Amino acid sequence: MFRLLEESGFQRVRSAVVPGFQFRQASTQNSAEAYGVKAVMMTAEKLGSD
Amino acid sequence: MTDNVEAQAELESVLKDEIIRMYQDVADNPEGEFHFFHGRQAAEMFAYDAAALDEAPEGAVASFAGVGNPHLRSNVQPGETVLDLGSGAGLDAIIAARSTGPTSKVIGVDLNPSMCLKAQAHAAATGSEMECHEGRMESIPLADESVDVILSNGVINLSFQKRKVIEEMFRVLRPGGRISITDIVSAKQLSQSIVNDPKLWAA
Repeated sequence: MFRLLEESGFQRVRSAVVPGFQFRQASTQNSAEAYGVKAVMMTAEKLGSD
Repeated sequence: MTDNVEAQAELESVLKDEIIRMYQDVADNPEGEFHFFHGRQAAEMFAYDAAALDEAPEGAVASFAGVGNPHLRSNVQPGETVLDLGSGAGLDAIIAARSTGPTSKVIGVDLNPSMCLKAQAHAAATGSEMECHEGRMESIPLADESVDVILSNGVINLSFQKRKVIEEMFRVLRPGGRISITDIVSAKQLSQSIVNDPKLWAA
């Protein structure tokens, strides 16, 4: 998603992992970890023309 | 080729129905158990402001199904127009309205029209006005360069067309505007069995 933001014109793209995120069910959490699934917080700007 | 396009369209249609069903279920049965944390427990897990949660309508808090806290870095200012993309029962929109005050405008967009009505009722209960539009995030029903800040919490991952979603966000944002989103990302390509299973994808 970071790359998509940059490619779409956003600038100053920043990301950080959301601490403490997990799925409630252990089976879902295990599958998520196997796929490297995580929650992230992202900010970006659409810079002005001036 | 046409078969692939048709199959994709059919899958997206099924997925849309599953997303509506799942998050409607959270809103209608907040005491239910889902594979993700929700409600006040989830909001506290993500460091939502306790006073804001106390002031928000119980239904909005109980239906919260976000994956993080986009308010931590949104820096929303009074007078700004804020879009909550995938507004659900309205908690993030209500918190944004609380931050910005009466001079601001808070707009929700949600796939599910009944969630829009619920969010607007929740916002009205706090004395805030919230405009809410039924719509898809791949085709945001707002004019070009019409919002200052976009918040989104755990919905972009639900789209098969993430690039289109991001392009739409860029389109509706004013120059100088910004986004603050929280979402789920995967380091590996999901298996086709997950991609083809609307219940898993909607999760």
